[in-house]
Amino acid sequence: MGPTVQRTVWQIQRDVIHALLVREMKTRFGKWRLGYAWALLEPAMHIMVLATIFSFRGRELYPGIPTLLFMLGGIAPFLFFSHCFTKSLATVASNRGLFNYRQLRPFDAVFSRVLLEFIIYLLSLVALLIVLAWCGVQAAFGNFLLLVEVNVLFFGFCLGLSLVLCVVGERYPEFSKVLPVLVRPLYFMSGVFFSLDQIPKEYHPYLIWNPLLHVIELTRQGLFASYHGMFANFQHLTFTAIGMLGFGLLVYRVSWRDLVRSQ
Amino acid sequence: MIKLENLTKSYRTPQGRNVLFKAVNATFPEGKNIGILGRNGAGKSTLLRIMGGIDYPDAGRVITNQRISWPMGLAGGFQGSMTGRENVAFVCGLHGIWGSGQRKVMDTVQGFAEIGNYFDAPIKNYSSGMRSRLAFGLSIAIDFDVYLVDEVMSVGDAQFKSKCEAVIAEKRKTSTFIIVAHTMSLLRKNCEVGIYLEEGRVKICDSMDEAIALYLKGTDSRQKSNIAS
Repeated sequence: MGPTVQRTVWQIQRDVIHALLVREMKTRFGKWRLGYAWALLEPAMHIMVLATIFSFRGRELYPGIPTLLFMLGGIAPFLFFSHCFTKSLATVASNRGLFNYRQLRPFDAVFSRVLLEFIIYLLSLVALLIVLAWCGVQAAFGNFLLLVEVNVLFFGFCLGLSLVLCVVGERYPEFSKVLPVLVRPLYFMSGVFFSLDQIPKEYHPYLIWNPLLHVIELTRQGLFASYHGMFANFQHLTFTAIGMLGFGLLVYRVSWRDLVRSQ
Repeated sequence: MIKLENLTKSYRTPQGRNVLFKAVNATFPEGKNIGILGRNGAGKSTLLRIMGGIDYPDAGRVITNQRISWPMGLAGGFQGSMTGRENVAFVCGLHGIWGSGQRKVMDTVQGFAEIGNYFDAPIKNYSSGMRSRLAFGLSIAIDFDVYLVDEVMSVGDAQFKSKCEAVIAEKRKTSTFIIVAHTMSLLRKNCEVGIYLEEGRVKICDSMDEAIALYLKGTDSRQKSNIAS
């Protein structure tokens, strides 16, 4: 009936993540009529609304790349980031009941959530590219290997950030109100619907610190052959992503018992 | 074997820290059922959860090589918008039970819980009795070396209670139990080792009767001192 063999730690980890992923999908998409299609519809709607607004300007934001595609390359990664950011703050509180199963710890909840968001992001990006290409909106494809590298780093960055935020959200609940406000300005500072050379030069030295900007510029560079991100710096992204992941793991390791423990 | 090493646990209160127990050392051999006794708020459930690896002490640790269950009949891990079947599938997945093993567990749970078609309805539509039937059925459907029981026998109607007791008697042949309860007869019948908690001290007794005697003496003397003052 029950488990008769001892599992290795990796098997336990795999089982827990697998079970959580299934559960997360059921609770998120199960209750709507459109179900899983909703995962694709959200970024699609976002992009359509913005693209409609900007298409009134009547010219391409970046020469040689249709506005819709340009936006898609910025909005899809940004939505992934902002979902990770806002959801991870409440991870511990909203999964408290699950910690009654000893093999399930906050890390698993954070990891499976980020992983699910990541899968949704990649699938919706691919699906929307196909749909747009089918409608005749397309551009020459860039560099697949670069896309893979950028997204691996981006995943690491978001996982590290989410681990930090899940600790912050539980230990300092007041921050949960303040931090989401920070995501708004990032939307405008990360080149989601412009490229950086449209901003006065004197601000550039500050703006290029933003790792999200590099993610978006490099993603576009990977997607479109004719795109060249002026400021995109792969080393900067590598460094911040590994740094953030390391920092997140450290912060989590120091404080995970306090997240679960009764005080 | 379950070994407690230097276990210390305290709670934050407005008047400072309230110590539940301090530097507890104990070894419980395999095959012994443990009963935990004490007044309300003495830390029985906390000790149970620490031994089960769900809660953590301030200092010290619990060493064990056994598979320990979650507190029996606990419904806190259920997700209201998912059906009973989906929730059972989730818990099975956590414990590495997939495929045909999972279907077997489903059958056991369904047979034990007796909630009929509600098994495929969202849990939020359940009555509290149905919820605890499902939770209890799930607890017994997955095999563990040690089961944690936190006053679970008090749920459900008389028929369900006797069914639970029958199942526990059956389970006792292959597994052991750690029980928190206020019912002396239940503890006396099921446990061989007793733990008595009182105001920051832990007394580990080699027989359940000894722990029960301590507990009764404790409540007696308290009553007397209350009358005297």
